[in-house]
Amino acid sequence: MRFRTSDRAPEGQLTIARRVQRREFPATIDSSPGGTTDFPRQYFRTEAICASLLALALLLPATACADHPNRIVVGSKNFTEQLVLGELFAQIIEARTHLPVERRFYLAGTFICQQAILAGRIDIYPEYTGTALTAVLKQPPSGDKQDVYRRVQQAYEKQFNLTIGPPLGFNDTFAIVIRGDDARRLNLKTLSQAAAFTPKWRAGFGYEFMERPDGYKGLAATYDLRFAEPPRVMDLGLLTRALIQRQVDLIAGNNTDGLIRALDLFVLEDDRHYFPPYEAVAVMREGMLKTHPEVKSALDDLSGQITDDDMRQLNYAVDGQHQDVTKVVHEFLVKRKLMQ
Amino acid sequence: MNFWQFMISNRQQVVELTLEHITLAGVSTLIAAAIGIPLGILITRSPNLSKPILGSANVIQTIPSLALFGFLIPAPWIGDRASRLAILALALYCLLPLIRNTYAGIRSVDPTIVEAGRAMGLTDRQLLFQVELPLASGVIVAGIRLAVVLSIGLATIAAAIGAGGLGEFIFRGLAMVNNQVILAGAVPAALLALAADSLLGLLERRLNSLHLKS
Amino acid sequence: MTPPHTPAPAIQFDDVSFRLNGRPLLENLTLSVYNGETLVLLGRSGSGKTTTLKLINALRLPTQGEVRVSGRPTTEWDPIRLRRGIGYVIQDGGLFPHFTVERNIALVPRIEGWSRDRIHARVRELLSLVGLDASLASRYPGELSGGQRQRVGVARALAADPPILILDEAFGALDPITRSGMQKEFRALQQKMQKAVVFVTHDLREAMLLADRIALMEEGRLIVDLTVEEFSKSQHPLVRAYIEAFSGSTQAGSTDAESPPAAATETGTTHTRPPQ
Repeated sequence: MRFRTSDRAPEGQLTIARRVQRREFPATIDSSPGGTTDFPRQYFRTEAICASLLALALLLPATACADHPNRIVVGSKNFTEQLVLGELFAQIIEARTHLPVERRFYLAGTFICQQAILAGRIDIYPEYTGTALTAVLKQPPSGDKQDVYRRVQQAYEKQFNLTIGPPLGFNDTFAIVIRGDDARRLNLKTLSQAAAFTPKWRAGFGYEFMERPDGYKGLAATYDLRFAEPPRVMDLGLLTRALIQRQVDLIAGNNTDGLIRALDLFVLEDDRHYFPPYEAVAVMREGMLKTHPEVKSALDDLSGQITDDDMRQLNYAVDGQHQDVTKVVHEFLVKRKLMQ
Repeated sequence: MNFWQFMISNRQQVVELTLEHITLAGVSTLIAAAIGIPLGILITRSPNLSKPILGSANVIQTIPSLALFGFLIPAPWIGDRASRLAILALALYCLLPLIRNTYAGIRSVDPTIVEAGRAMGLTDRQLLFQVELPLASGVIVAGIRLAVVLSIGLATIAAAIGAGGLGEFIFRGLAMVNNQVILAGAVPAALLALAADSLLGLLERRLNSLHLKS
Repeated sequence: MTPPHTPAPAIQFDDVSFRLNGRPLLENLTLSVYNGETLVLLGRSGSGKTTTLKLINALRLPTQGEVRVSGRPTTEWDPIRLRRGIGYVIQDGGLFPHFTVERNIALVPRIEGWSRDRIHARVRELLSLVGLDASLASRYPGELSGGQRQRVGVARALAADPPILILDEAFGALDPITRSGMQKEFRALQQKMQKAVVFVTHDLREAMLLADRIALMEEGRLIVDLTVEEFSKSQHPLVRAYIEAFSGSTQAGSTDAESPPAAATETGTTHTRPPQ
């Protein structure tokens, strides 16, 4: 019995209401099966389930292991020499251990590579001892080759659980470069010797070299360089050309630049050891080495195998002759009998 | 090799970076929600806090994202691991939509209903959980949706500081001048964002329709 | 004259004033409501009736004077306990749109910790009491008509069987036929339940139908406080104005007369009135 809105409810409805109360209600009438807790559970059941699934889905990848147990991932920074070294590591590991190697090259810089290896996203990458000392460990550059190597090796092991492999054999330091004919004519081998001629020369440097504490200022002070005019500052890429075209007489480049030999340029020796050593080494994750110690023995075979000249040649093959990195590295390894 | 072949031959890396990306975006959104939603509730209770809190969140969002990442690098503990840093920065970035939508959602609840609830003797906590939050849930989920999409997008920049994720493909591809590598990062990231947006949009619409019956 | 009641009043206003942002909404209100009695607060908008209602369940606290419920000042009551003992019905029910009818009605019993079965039974009981089909229990307020929502609102207010019931223009949004029906049913419920009821309206006929006593309010002041019979016989100018306003418009079935003409103070009305 129910009151319709269109009915005029007469007075007698009260008695009817009383009677209605005592009636049995059919069992099919039901509202919330869940019951009587405070929170409107029925309303939110599907939504709550969806939300929890979503949250779980978002958190699950975080638990995924960073280790890739059966792959070795080799990383590198984004310039030619790094690509060559990365490829060297990759190919020798593949040849010696037959483990699958994944290449992750062109990572944007030292910081990125460091973060990647700490997070386990890469297992190995090529680094320079001087860079490790100043950029990663944030210590001032000082000491000779062995000293720097030792300090870096110990610190990396203690702080980061990273192993430093033996030096590959070359030093990619800053190179103070002059034209070959000037070097021969004036019989110059070292920076100290060249210093005497600087009042007659113009120098050209890149922006970074001008700004860095271990750049121009320190160099000029150490060797007592006095140029007639202040150095010209220009893009790194233009420095070599400016030198060739005699717009400048002395520039700062990389020691292992591929074009040095090709263009008959000469690297002056840093006899007062102004520049810190930048020996190339492999940085490796200890976790990976525990599972695959054979990787270290493979890389150790590269120890001392690459001289400054070797590196320049390799760089030149890629930069100057535009050969494929994979091919260049393969030929090198075969020629040196490091690989079949 | 076309795009699909590239994706398939590098699928392990694609999957790995996608999972990394989801982690970055997901964990940071959860953190932002865990902080932002309670803050949003707080400022509905203490309106004089609304200006400073909303104001601060707004300022944080105005900082260019890459700059925010860069600021945090020298910080102890946080700056040691790029992923921690990225998650913190992304969480800070997502605070504003969450705080603001929670606040607006609760305030948009019909005050007559809230007063009726109060008049019946609901405690503030009961009012919050049984009336205000359920009725505000559509708007709150809209805020979560915004935060998720935002953090999926910003997480691509996190690769610039070494936090990984699909942005790593993009930056590497740029350095290699290789479109396929760039796309291998950009396409999955876009798909992730679209998927999250659609799913949460569905949820939002459903929550809103549940009380549109009135 | 108010009949002598020996028990203490359920609700008592003792020289109560209320100001909001400097504006006086209520001034020097003294009023009592006894158990079993229905007091109607009659007046137009701005007269202070809703404010008076909100002072009862401590949604507002007096700026001056004391409001006592069951003998205790509202300032001393725990507001939660106070409100759970007062049923509150507003226009259009104020139902929670995201709760089913059953959950809406069960609100106070549930937070009071009643057992599931007891709540279930009570909801059924109330639905039939307010004249609704039990099948509506699983519907949402949005699916109901205005009249049905209002009934659910009443059921909700009655759920925990509070001793006091306050209603704010509860039937104001209903069409005339539904409204009339609800008024009569409500009257019947009152007689059965014997609660202390305060009913706010601006409709005189509703007041005369439902009230034991009528308190006429204007601009925050109590003008008269009389039984229905006394009210209909009163010669107070404002009372007469109300009566005439409403008797003038009972012709063509229009119900909601607008508030009586502006001449509401002592200075006479625009209608002729019988000699004092």
